[in-house]
Amino acid sequence: MNKAESMMAMFGVTDNNLKRLISVALSKGGDYADIYFEHSVSNELNLRDSEVNGAGTHVDYGVGIRVIKGEGTGYAYTEITTMAEMERAAGIAAAIATSGTPKLAPAEIISPLFKERYRAEIPWDGVSFSDRIPTLTELDELVFQADSRVVKVLAKISDSNTKILFFNSEGIIAAEERPMASVAVTCIMQHEGKTENGSSSRSFRMGYEMLSKNLVKELAEEVVSRTAIQFEAGRPKGGEMPVVMGAGSSGILLHEAIGHAFEADFNRMGTSIFSDKLGKKICSDEISVVDDGTIFANRGSVSFDDEGVESQKTYMVKDGVLNSYLHDRISAKYYNTDPTGNGRRESFRFMPLPRMRATYMESGRSKESELISSVKNGLFVNNFSNGQVQIGAGDFTFFVKSGFIIENGRLTTPVKDINIIGNGPEALADIVGIADNSVIDDGTWTCGKEQYCAVSCGMPSVLVSKLTVGGVE
Amino acid sequence: MEKNIKQIVSLALDMAKGAGCSASRAGAEISVQSSFSVRNNVLDRLHSSTGSTLFLQLFIDGRYGYYSTNRTEADELKNFIDKAAEATKLLAPDNDRVLPDKDLLFTGIAKDLGQFDSDFNNITPEEKRDITFSCSQEIFGKDPRIISSNCEYGDSLEYYYMADSEGFSGESRQTSYSVSAECSAKDKGNARPEAWWYESSMKFADLQRVGCGKNAMERALARLAPRKLKSGKYNMVLENTVASRVVSPIISALNGAAIHQNNSFLAGKLGERIFTSDLYFIDRPHEYGYEGSRYFDSEGIATKPMNIIDKGVIKSYYLNTYNARKLGMKPTIEGPSLLSVSLNGKLPSHVPEITLENVLKVSGKGILVTGFNGGNSNSSSGDFSFGIQGFYFENGIILHPIKEMNVTGNIVELWNSLKITGDDPKRGSRWLIPTLMFESVTFNGN
Repeated sequence: MNKAESMMAMFGVTDNNLKRLISVALSKGGDYADIYFEHSVSNELNLRDSEVNGAGTHVDYGVGIRVIKGEGTGYAYTEITTMAEMERAAGIAAAIATSGTPKLAPAEIISPLFKERYRAEIPWDGVSFSDRIPTLTELDELVFQADSRVVKVLAKISDSNTKILFFNSEGIIAAEERPMASVAVTCIMQHEGKTENGSSSRSFRMGYEMLSKNLVKELAEEVVSRTAIQFEAGRPKGGEMPVVMGAGSSGILLHEAIGHAFEADFNRMGTSIFSDKLGKKICSDEISVVDDGTIFANRGSVSFDDEGVESQKTYMVKDGVLNSYLHDRISAKYYNTDPTGNGRRESFRFMPLPRMRATYMESGRSKESELISSVKNGLFVNNFSNGQVQIGAGDFTFFVKSGFIIENGRLTTPVKDINIIGNGPEALADIVGIADNSVIDDGTWTCGKEQYCAVSCGMPSVLVSKLTVGGVE
Repeated sequence: MEKNIKQIVSLALDMAKGAGCSASRAGAEISVQSSFSVRNNVLDRLHSSTGSTLFLQLFIDGRYGYYSTNRTEADELKNFIDKAAEATKLLAPDNDRVLPDKDLLFTGIAKDLGQFDSDFNNITPEEKRDITFSCSQEIFGKDPRIISSNCEYGDSLEYYYMADSEGFSGESRQTSYSVSAECSAKDKGNARPEAWWYESSMKFADLQRVGCGKNAMERALARLAPRKLKSGKYNMVLENTVASRVVSPIISALNGAAIHQNNSFLAGKLGERIFTSDLYFIDRPHEYGYEGSRYFDSEGIATKPMNIIDKGVIKSYYLNTYNARKLGMKPTIEGPSLLSVSLNGKLPSHVPEITLENVLKVSGKGILVTGFNGGNSNSSSGDFSFGIQGFYFENGIILHPIKEMNVTGNIVELWNSLKITGDDPKRGSRWLIPTLMFESVTFNGN
């Protein structure tokens, strides 16, 4: 039994059932329909007050049925996968079409071979909570050992396995299991009457093998150093200044400043600030920006997206030119191009939208030290918590948890808790130096565009000549 | 369907007992939702769903686990609960994990809070579609600078039933209707500023259908040609649509978990005057006709009227049973219900007298904030920095929109610079936060 057959058995449907549902979905004249079955089991295990004393398991099961007519979408889901319930949902989704000829179900079923982008060597469903507990207790011990100012540690392991069966009106069937796991730790320190907190996390599409000693050590060291430096940090004088973005998590700048604005639904609707820029030069020749769903075990990777399209590495910006938007099937048809494998969704409860995967900038030629030394008065930032963008106006922000003031080309006073704001196209054009150290940040990045989606981001160190820094007077 | 939900909850509690749990709590919700959206006056999306989920909390000799599933056939549910109980037994015991004292639980008669519309199932798809298109027609073709519009009608019915192994049971049901509009306008250069507006109600008949699209369009056009101001101190007027953003850090800091984990700038401040002596955060959870009203929290603890902040003094933390026991205190309630903020300790009247216009007139020069763009606050210190959108005003007159600016400060200091509260909270919100005016706040721009 192949993967699709085994999923069909699990969801209790046959080839003919799937074809029948497509027929109902297209009965009012829809152009295209798809069916997305999902069964997810997620677990979490929590450490608090140095004891692993909280756990949870969550099961979600259902099917979403989508019909596309032109650029319009009808969507309905049900948690009950009897044919009667699914036909009812298909009938509701079908109503997006109010004219046209009913279409027949596909005669043939095509099962494309998708390259494997992740694998749980030790699947989570075969691992007891008791096998996960030592990771949390060891993490707790290492954090407390690292600094006497630590007063509290909160740590958590989350894992999930999602079984997916997809079928569409083109006859394409796809099935797979998607693992996801993360370890997150927060540390609270007190010193001379002050309290500070810091967090670190790692997330991969992996099984239990992810919980290595190295991971625990790395997280413990990182969270302690991130928290400890806060005692020395203050807030800089606010206003416009040059900012060096450190390698890795500065990828949030790409995600917010340009990534969302490159999602093709915003461009199709004409609401993105980059709507008229396809094929045009938008920044330095040295800049190439990628959205990549093919990095093995990466949090943002997918073997195929939630529309049955194979994942790919998509150059959004190539040598300074806007090369491609990020497409789902609707926008690809609108732009008369192929989908890029970016049609993603939070779960069967949501219709797919163009979403990022792992978004990063490729390395440049400078050294990070050269970028810093070129700044007389500015800021170096290297740890962030969240960001946001206004797609049309182009204003984006990201919140800086830590960094340093740059004075005469040298890092001096640590800084914390400041918001940085800029304008997407202007900030991209204002990148005047790119280092040779591009790296993906493997934290628990989650994008919240209408629905939640796991992503990751990366960046080499870059110098932006002008951003507006939140700060004191 | 509601009867079925009660049976599932009862079955789950029996199964938990059979699996060796010393106590348990189960809750189940049914959610029915539909929406229509129209983009540029063409039907763009329709969405319909019905779902139900069972939530389960298991207590086994101090050990505690929380579980959920939407697979509630008896055999599958039993297997799930047996496994959940086995998993819970692997955890470290914590004797503070218990059900609440019975004395604290809601036991009275749940008088109607005016949150449910019995006509919910009688509203036709045609009516919903018509509302969406009417909203769209307030925008479409009205101004050449508008390049895109998206209007949506949505409704939902949420039913929740909860019971525990000690005999508590309670239920709530709430309907909701909304109409919203979002517009983008073409500015000079490539910018396409967007704006939105929404109206919502719990009764279909109360839904304000006229004006939503027009409001969104006017707000988008008002954002054309923004300017960046010089960094400095400005008076800040917060529109009632976004004012809750500066309330949330206070509520988070009053949460028992944050207090217990030493991760709150209000830890150890109970009974102290932290804020200006005329500031009140009041909770009136039994008011009729408000979204935030409720009789019990997620543990079944009865809600009651309380002043969280009274004359600037912290009178209460938000403490559930677990955090209260950890702190050696009495449980209060897990979080706010119908929260309102004022400088006089009164609930806002139904017909507001102090509106945004009144506040702007007496606020001199400053920045009217109509939206936030990212940013965050430090839970330990209360230091915050938020991106903003809004307008520069002088003597009640809005002069121009602003762009790329941050507001930065400390949340306690900010609240101590509060000078005016309106009595105009936007209806349809769970919290009743009116227009707020803060004096001399740090903004970062040029």
